[in-house]
Formats: sequence, structure tokens, C-alpha cells
Amino acid sequence: MMVKFVRTSLLIICITLPLSGCWDIKDINHRLLPVTMGIAKQGEEYEVILQIPQPTQNTTKIKIVKETGKTITQAIDRISMNMESSVELLHLRIIIIDKETAELGIADILSGFIRAREVSSKTLLVICDEELDSFFANVNGAMESENIAIFDFFEKDKGWTPHIVLTRVWEAFRSIHSYTIDVAIPIVASGESTIISHVGSAVMKKGRMVDRVTSDESLLFNTFHGEGAEGKIEVMDKASVLIVDSAVKNKHQFVDNRPYLQCQINIDVVILEAQKGATNEVIKNDLEKALSNRFKELFAKIQANKADILGLGQYYRSNIPRTKLKEWRTAYYPALTLDVQFHVDIRNEGYIKNPS
Amino acid sequence: MDAILSEITNKFAENEDFFIERSELLDVPVFFLGFHSLIDLTKTKTNIQRNINHTIATKASLEDCLTLLGEEKNVEDAALSILEGKLIICLEVDSKCIVTAPVSKPLNRSIEPPTNENVLLGSLNSFTEELEANLGLVRKQILSEHLRSKSFTVGRTQKKKLSLLYLEDSTDRKLVQQVIKRIEANQEKAIQNIQSLAKALGFSSWGIVSKFNITELPQEAVFYLKKGRVVLFLDQFPAALILPKLLWDMFVLESDNNHPAPMMIALRLLRIFGALITLILPGLYVALVAINPEILQIELALSIAKSREGVPYPAFVEIIIMLIVLELILEASARLPKTIGPTITMVGGIILGQAVVEAKLVSNLLIIILAATTIATSTVIGFQNLLTIRLCKYAMVILASIFGVLGIISGLVLISAYLASIKSFSIPFLHIQSTKDEADHG
Repeated sequence: MMVKFVRTSLLIICITLPLSGCWDIKDINHRLLPVTMGIAKQGEEYEVILQIPQPTQNTTKIKIVKETGKTITQAIDRISMNMESSVELLHLRIIIIDKETAELGIADILSGFIRAREVSSKTLLVICDEELDSFFANVNGAMESENIAIFDFFEKDKGWTPHIVLTRVWEAFRSIHSYTIDVAIPIVASGESTIISHVGSAVMKKGRMVDRVTSDESLLFNTFHGEGAEGKIEVMDKASVLIVDSAVKNKHQFVDNRPYLQCQINIDVVILEAQKGATNEVIKNDLEKALSNRFKELFAKIQANKADILGLGQYYRSNIPRTKLKEWRTAYYPALTLDVQFHVDIRNEGYIKNPS
Repeated sequence: MDAILSEITNKFAENEDFFIERSELLDVPVFFLGFHSLIDLTKTKTNIQRNINHTIATKASLEDCLTLLGEEKNVEDAALSILEGKLIICLEVDSKCIVTAPVSKPLNRSIEPPTNENVLLGSLNSFTEELEANLGLVRKQILSEHLRSKSFTVGRTQKKKLSLLYLEDSTDRKLVQQVIKRIEANQEKAIQNIQSLAKALGFSSWGIVSKFNITELPQEAVFYLKKGRVVLFLDQFPAALILPKLLWDMFVLESDNNHPAPMMIALRLLRIFGALITLILPGLYVALVAINPEILQIELALSIAKSREGVPYPAFVEIIIMLIVLELILEASARLPKTIGPTITMVGGIILGQAVVEAKLVSNLLIIILAATTIATSTVIGFQNLLTIRLCKYAMVILASIFGVLGIISGLVLISAYLASIKSFSIPFLHIQSTKDEADHG
């Protein structure tokens, strides 16, 4: 009994120790954990910029390192070679892609990330509207003084606002390989008085940037996806309102090989400011009209680009045979008729009653 | 006569506290035999004299007097009785050995509050070394006609008394019979401590979980009696041994029931939480710092990296060093006399609290982890359980240092599997309640 026990445990130890490879482990203070990665394609080479926070005695200093390579991995490897600790992309939160690179297509970059597994598939994608070098230099200069991180801008419980579209690496990767869905990626630039300014969103079609939409339109995009328009202030001619809740109801039909979509978006608002004479009814009608016009414009734009960033094709997957599904973007989507209705409920008017 | 006397004398001649005193009872010459160290001879003689004077009034013979004083035994038993602290009266004429109960020297402490367990709300009596006193304490706690007790004397050269208690109406009879059978089968073996008792009862001596639930409190012992457990008392061991032991005993105290139910549940959850913290936290530190830092929030990762800046050892070595220092402190404070004890706490506090961190040997965070672990360990009931958890902690640290978070999970699974494999008297360790099944009764 005892002998058997000792023999088994010795065997287990002998197997575990060499198989685990635990001597290759580096402690956390010997790893560099970049949080932001910038990627730009320059000719045949990739330029990779890493933003690495480095803890010092009292504050966290942010270091920017740059390297080029034939592939992204090679560039990172070169950085790792030249730094005192090894670079680990485990904590990478944001991948910032140069606009020109995005227009050329990011399919290769994304499949590399998904394949190598080192970068979390939850990492956010962002497109940069200016030269990456100047963007990182400006951002870093602004951050030095304030000691905050760029990714806070995109954190739901921190600096995120409903104008910003959040797209993860896996979502973008899925859209490249899916027949019926595309993604939007936020576009940022370095701000003048703020660290970052949000410019709008890029319309990505099969991993290539084909157009851009404004931040107001991005808000509608988020609303459509149920990303709650909570906390958003909508300004009109006669009043400004705070959107507190939103809900989307879609009804889809597929008649004679033509898709029809009836979309009802219910929005609850709170009135913040109102001009004299603006009754609840007027505010409500104005808001409904303004929103539905804006939505129609957005839809017309993306339909013209044949980019299905709203993911409407998902509704018709059961109606279209598998063999024809790959024609969704070219044959069916441009023919889609969208009937969007906004329904606004004024939840309250604050401490001052509005004339009704 | 001379034969008996010389035989007993030969046995104990080399003991200076052994006495043979010649005396006369009703004009018959007798010898008193016994140990000075156990018997108060003067008082005993007075007592005997008083008894005899009393019997003389009824005109009885010496024979009758002696039967009243005690019972006649052969030489072997008489020698054993002497060891037990009895007085032997030997008649010079017709070689008889009478064993009587003398006035013994006060060698037992009185019933005191427990020293190893704390009672918050509940009775403060605790068991003492004397077996009879312990039985009495239990009888006082539970006024039930169903309480049964059985005594054994075990060991051949070194005798030890063993008592078994159970409640007839709530205990599974099979369990009682099994325990009795095992003890009777091993009556020849010397049982001097819990380990040898466990061996006699047929338990493997290599299990890391103690086979008995040990308590100093009569209240707890009675609580377990009512739940259908068997209680064993070992002479000169000031605690009750409860059989079988179940996992749940680590977290449940009878005195919890003196609180309102929500508080009771909260307290028990807290103990479970404490045990889990002790098991997981040190391993988690190693796993997160060395192997899976991707789980951490980036802010936390950076602050941990900052606190480890300049620490020369890998996380595993770091935590093992500090855990061992901590164990040494715990062990040292148990060993040292109470007067020097605080010194260890102070020195240990300085080592753990400040100097080690300032010398950059370990990180700040580790000290926090260690403190939390040590505090959490102590929430578990029973010192022997605490030792089990303390030991399991190391297995978890080693697994975590090899496999990271996966190692912690597999460690927990392994520990659970081990606990599930333990059985005592065919009752699984993970059994929730051991009340007797109605079906077993008839």
C-alpha cells in the first residue's frame, strides 16, 4: 500500500516536472505589458508601435517603442530583442490601425492575431485618422501630465460614450469570413485640448475600410445594436433631451426574393432644455423626425457601399439558401427596403412643467 | 503468605515510593501495600479503622469486615491495582490479597475553561485528564436514559483505559458494534496516543485528514452524540474523540445555534470562505504573478509589477520562503512558554511586516497575501483540521507554480477527490449528517 503510493507519487512528480516547462516562466516584473499597439503598413513592411506602461517608484511612465518588420511578429520580436524584458501582448487592449492600412485591408493582420493566440480576441480595434507617429507622440505628451491610459477612453465603465462603436478583433475577423455581417470601427485622432478626439466610424466591408460615418450616426448604429443610448444628449433646434433608454424591435419579411425590414426603435428621453413655446408634442415629433432622417441617411450610405454593418443579413439567413447566401452583399442587400420608425416617450420634464 | 508478599515486593522493590507497612486489624496482623505517591496513607488508615469500628458494632468477624473494605484478588490483579493507585491489604495468616479504594493524593486538576478552544457563547467547562470526570461532564450535559457507556482496558504492559459513549436511540448500532469489535480485537496493543488509537481502529496512519474530531468541550461532544456519533475517551487525554469525523465538522459548532439563524449561516459561510482563501490565495498569487498575468486588470498587473520591482526570487521561491517563516513562527509560539511567547510575535511581526519588504526580498503584496492567509486559516474549527488545510496549501502552491490557474482548479479537484475517497466505518467523509436512519433501527 505504502510502497505503491510512494511509487505512484514519484512517477507523477517525475512526469509533471519535465512536462510542464515551468522553468520558462517569467515573473510579472520581467514582462513588458504593452496596452496599445499601432500598426501601419509602409510598402512591404509593417511598422509597429507599442505603448508600454512602465512602473516606476511613484508613477507609471509610458514608453513608446517603434520597430519595422516584414511581419508584425518580426517587428515585435525585434522590439523584444532590444528591450530589457520580454514583450508579452497578453494585456494588449487596443490595436490602432493606420487609416491607409485599413483602406488596403486588415484581413491578414487579423488572421495573424487570431492564429497566434497571444493577443486576446477581445482586443479593441481602432483606426487612426492621422500619422501614427504624430498620434502617439501627441497622445503620450498629453498623457505624461495626466497619468491616464488611452484605453480608458474605450472602457464601458470609464470614458466610453455611446458615440463610440466598440469592435473586437474576433468580431472583425468574423465579419471577414461571414456573408451577412460587416463591422464599423471607431476612428480617432489626437485632440487639441483633450487627449483623443473621436472623429466617427469607419465602415468596414470584408476587412477593408470603404467609407466613414459621423459620430452622430455611430450613435444610431449603437442604438440599433441595443448598446443603450443611455446618457446621450440629443440637441435639436427647439430643445435638448437626454436619452435614458432605448429598445429596438425588428420585423423582417422575405417576399419574392426581396428582403423587407420594419424597424421600430423606442426611445425614452428626459427633457433638459426647451425653448419657450416648445410643447412636449412638438419636441417629440421633431426628435422622431430628426432621428429617422438621420437613420435613413446612414442606411442609404452603407447600402450604397454594400457594407452591412448593421448586420441585417443575419435576419435572412433562414430565408436565403446557403448556396446563394454569398450573394447577400451584392444581390439582396442593395434591394433591401428598410422602414424605420422612431417612437419617442418623454419620461419627465424635470422640475419645470412644459405647456402641453 | 510470604510467597505473595515477596512476589509483589519483588515487582516494586526498586521504587522508593513503594511501601509495605505492617499493621494490625482487629488484632490480626496485616500488611498494607501501595505507593506513597498515589495514596494518602494516614487518611486511608483512619478511614479503614473507622469502617472496622463501625462493623464491629454489628459483631461481624474480620472476614466480613474485609469483604466490606474491598474485594479479594489474585497476585497479578493485585499488582495492577497497586499501579492504579489502590491499597492492598495482605493478611499474614491465610495469604489473601484485598484490594481497597484508598484516599488518593489529589493529582488531577479541577474542571477549567478550555485552553485550546474558545467559547463565545456556551458552557465553559472543558474535559480534564480523568476519565470518570469526563464521563460525568457528559452525563451532566445530557440527561438521557439512552446514554450508554462501555469501558475497555487496552495494552499489555502499559495499560490504558478507554471509554466509549453513545446514545442508543440515535446512533447506528452497526457503527457502535464495529467500533467495539475493533477495540476488542486490538486490546493487546498499546494505545498511548491518537495515532495508535487510529491504528487500532483500523485507519491508515498516512491520511492527512485526522480521523477523529477532537473537542475539549462537553457541549460539543454532546452535540455530536445527539447527531448519532460515537464518543471515545482516552484516559489522561483531556478531550473527547468523536467518530466518525465528517467534513462538515470543520465548519459547524454547536454554540453557533446560540445565535439567530441568519448569523449562524453567515458564520458558517465565513468559515468555509476562510478555508477556501487559505487554500487558494497563496497559489493564486504564484499563478497570477508568474504564469497567468493576463487575468489581471492592467492597472493591477502594473501595480503588482511595481511592487515586485527588484525582488530577486521567482514568485514560487518567494512565497515558499515566507510561508515557511510563517509556519516557524506559528510552531515557535506554540512551543515557547507563555512568558516568552510575545517576543516571537514581535520579532516575527518585524520580520514579516517591514524588514523583508525593505530589504527587497519579497514584495509588499505577498505580505498582504500571507497575512490574509494566516488569518483565514484560523477560522476553521479544530486545530487538527487547521493543520490539514495548512498542508494542502503547499500542494496548491506547487501545482499553481507549475500549471497556473489551471493548477489551482486541478488542485481543488484533487483535494475534493481525496476527501471524497475517505471513509471511516463505511461512512463517507463528505456525508452531510450522520443521524441514524430509521430503517437501520429495526
